[in-house]
Amino acid sequence: MSAPALAAITVSDLSKNFGHFQAVKGISFTVAPGEIVGFLGPNGAGKTTTIKMITGLLKITSGTVLIGGLDNRKHLAAIKKKLGYMSQKFSLYPLLTAMENIEFFGGISGLPPAELRLHMARMEEQVASDILGQKIQDVPPGIRQKVALFVCLMPEPEIILLDEPTSGVDPEARRLFWNELYGLKKHGKTLLVSTHNLDEAEYCDRIIIIHNGEIVACGEPEELLRQKGKVNIEELFKDAIQEHGQN
Amino acid sequence: MKLFYLVKKELIEIVRQKELLVLMFIAPVIQIIILGYVISTDIRHVPVGIVNLAKGQAAGQIIQRVRQTQLFNVRVLSDRSEDYLYLLKKGEVKTVLIFRDALDRKRSVQKYPEVQILMDGMDSNTSMIAAGYFNGIIKNYILNDMEKLGQGLPLSGQAVFRFNPQLRSINYMGPGIVGFLLTIITMFLTSASMVREKEQQTLDTLLISPLSTLEIYIGKALPAALIGLADMVIGLVVVVLWFGIPFRGNLFYLFLASLVYLAAILSYALLISVLSATTQQAMFFAWFSLMIFLLMSGFFTPVDNIPPLLRVLADINPLRYLIKIIREIFLKGNSIAFFWKDLLVLSGIALTLMSISLLNFKRFISK
Repeated sequence: MSAPALAAITVSDLSKNFGHFQAVKGISFTVAPGEIVGFLGPNGAGKTTTIKMITGLLKITSGTVLIGGLDNRKHLAAIKKKLGYMSQKFSLYPLLTAMENIEFFGGISGLPPAELRLHMARMEEQVASDILGQKIQDVPPGIRQKVALFVCLMPEPEIILLDEPTSGVDPEARRLFWNELYGLKKHGKTLLVSTHNLDEAEYCDRIIIIHNGEIVACGEPEELLRQKGKVNIEELFKDAIQEHGQN
Repeated sequence: MKLFYLVKKELIEIVRQKELLVLMFIAPVIQIIILGYVISTDIRHVPVGIVNLAKGQAAGQIIQRVRQTQLFNVRVLSDRSEDYLYLLKKGEVKTVLIFRDALDRKRSVQKYPEVQILMDGMDSNTSMIAAGYFNGIIKNYILNDMEKLGQGLPLSGQAVFRFNPQLRSINYMGPGIVGFLLTIITMFLTSASMVREKEQQTLDTLLISPLSTLEIYIGKALPAALIGLADMVIGLVVVVLWFGIPFRGNLFYLFLASLVYLAAILSYALLISVLSATTQQAMFFAWFSLMIFLLMSGFFTPVDNIPPLLRVLADINPLRYLIKIIREIFLKGNSIAFFWKDLLVLSGIALTLMSISLLNFKRFISK
């Protein structure tokens, strides 16, 4: 009998308090290697807080986060090498051009100059160079999103955490973006994607619905729909939140 | 190498803000020139009123000397009794010289008149200096008379002014302005650097990168240090060429002291940056600190004039030591043998500030 594969992300009884306010209330879940997991919830549900605790950007109040079996409070430096993180609003430097952003993020990731040049050339194949030469604040959101994902992927992380990557972009750009995520999955990458766009759940292997800092539903979208007797994610989402509110 | 990309990014961000570039490189030149003229403590063209009620020759001759000097501008000249206080109140003159005949017991007129100097004490500094000049004119007049008679004062001190023989106040203030400039530029550039990352939501990606805390810290401080030094060079050129202030010392020592000072001031500015929640807060904090640094530095008034309780603030003020060292290098041409103690204290302050700042920086990053 072979040993069970080590989870890419293991979150156990994770909580976060901001003063008296408890933003995340003892949640637990795992993400298997090569899986796309959608982290769904309304604004303020605790998605970003959870993701930031997984990355080590926020201190954990209680509970543990293991990345590839490593505790992120003890092995943050090693974990940083495994993780790719794309934050809300794309986190690019508005006064730098798209290309300068790529050079900067690649550079601080420790990529050798030759490799960095290869990446930059690869980007030039995908986006017109006149757009890449513009300040990132002046380029369309779709391109900003593309650049943000590109810089996140440059160090070739095993696990990618995307915090609301599709907010503020048009449906076509969203569809193309998810196609790219599928491509990453095919290459064995693990993805945890937070979103409040419920229709994006259909792209995920599994979804986790979070509300008021608690997980209210977790599983494969089809399986959850079947269990709850719902026809779409929106109904499922409303039902889960309502049920949680009554409890 | 990672640090190189961070420094490059910081410099690009600064260069892309054209208004900031003007503020960093053009404004200092204007600032030095304006400050150089405005904060001069030299006394010139003090408005004077003269009331001559004396009949003797001496009064007329002394008045003639007062009129010849550029220090005073005689606005009122009268031989009738005036309402002297009214003249001062009106602000038309700052000083009234009143000459009256001096009489002996037999009521006969003496050779030298009685001279009363009425000063507007509101501006105490100018009044004190002007009163000194008047007394000097009178003393010289009497000395001339005595020399004609083959006499002289039995004891007289001869003042020799070294390092600034013309007693130009700009020679004293100019080097201080260079230190002030270094402070203002680096303080404002750095104090908002981390808050800005937070506000434009780029901090997270920076923190999750493999950059170490120290690399981020240095990456934030280094560009400001480079720009500060560039501004200092501009400042040096302006004070030497525009104001003709002699530079008698060694440039190496000047840059050495400036580098130590930069370590202190940048640490302080980065501390502001991590303690502030918004850019506005950071700017306010920087401005408040700048005023304290400046007032407690001996830039305007001697540090010895500061009351003992507040002297503690002056003693831990890095700008105080930089200004003292710069002035010594500039005017006295002193080498490190003369100011090593000040440099040592400045290094101690820099090390302390750096430790506090780094500690808070680490705490900020691991929040």
